[in-house]
Amino acid sequence: MFPFRRFRVEDESMRPTLEPGDYVLVNRWAYRFQSPKRGDLVVVQDPEALDRFLVKRVADAAGPSQVHLAGDNQPLSRDSRAFGPVSINRIVGKVWIRLKR
Amino acid sequence: MSLLYSLARLLDRISPARIAYAHCDIPCGIYDPHHAQLAAHTVVRMVDLINQLEKPGPNATAEQRQEYTNKLARYIATKEQHSEIAKSELRILWADYFKPDHLKTFPELHDTMWKALKTASKARQEINLQAAEDLLKATNDIASMFWKTKGLETITTKAPYPTERQTVYPKFK
Repeated sequence: MFPFRRFRVEDESMRPTLEPGDYVLVNRWAYRFQSPKRGDLVVVQDPEALDRFLVKRVADAAGPSQVHLAGDNQPLSRDSRAFGPVSINRIVGKVWIRLKR
Repeated sequence: MSLLYSLARLLDRISPARIAYAHCDIPCGIYDPHHAQLAAHTVVRMVDLINQLEKPGPNATAEQRQEYTNKLARYIATKEQHSEIAKSELRILWADYFKPDHLKTFPELHDTMWKALKTASKARQEINLQAAEDLLKATNDIASMFWKTKGLETITTKAPYPTERQTVYPKFK
């Protein structure tokens, strides 16, 4: 498995950290030997539509195998407040590099 | 624009990156329970009108029967449509506006919503004033919860429509 994957950001729930059009490089191996920590930026499979991806921040580790996700732009974000905690298996990886436009 | 960004964009042309959505619902954030309340008023009004409609007697002319049928059909069609609008508006509030956090303040939220939707179906299916009144009451209850989440108090007062039923309005400062 290639360790990195590119994503282009769309939508505004992670503003001002990520703006629509920014690129992120995701480290898929980041959580092989450690668990996601609060504050990590992650790309996950959307629990409400498995064929697409979300970029969010880990708000809390809900349990050993689950995390709560939040958007930095709280009022607009659709996140764990709506769809609940997300399984660690759904995490694609941790954002390693952000390329701002 | 940084060099790396330009490089990423160039790479994107060759092999497009997957999209990671910083997902929001549109995001408009514009919600108001008034649509549901208004639709419920319309349903009440239609039931009132249907009940007030004079039924053609055995000696009614063809024209009188036709007029009766036409009016009845129009009231029923409007009642159908607005029960459905009430349901749609309630669903939007339930699914999109209210968040799990709100359940801490309003543990009865799910039950109220669920019953409101069932009542709306009943009001749609039948010519039933009680069901229509119950629907209006349910939309009022949901409106009080909604405005509380916005930090606003509400007043309950007679609506300025022919229905004249008690209605919950926000008290804007």
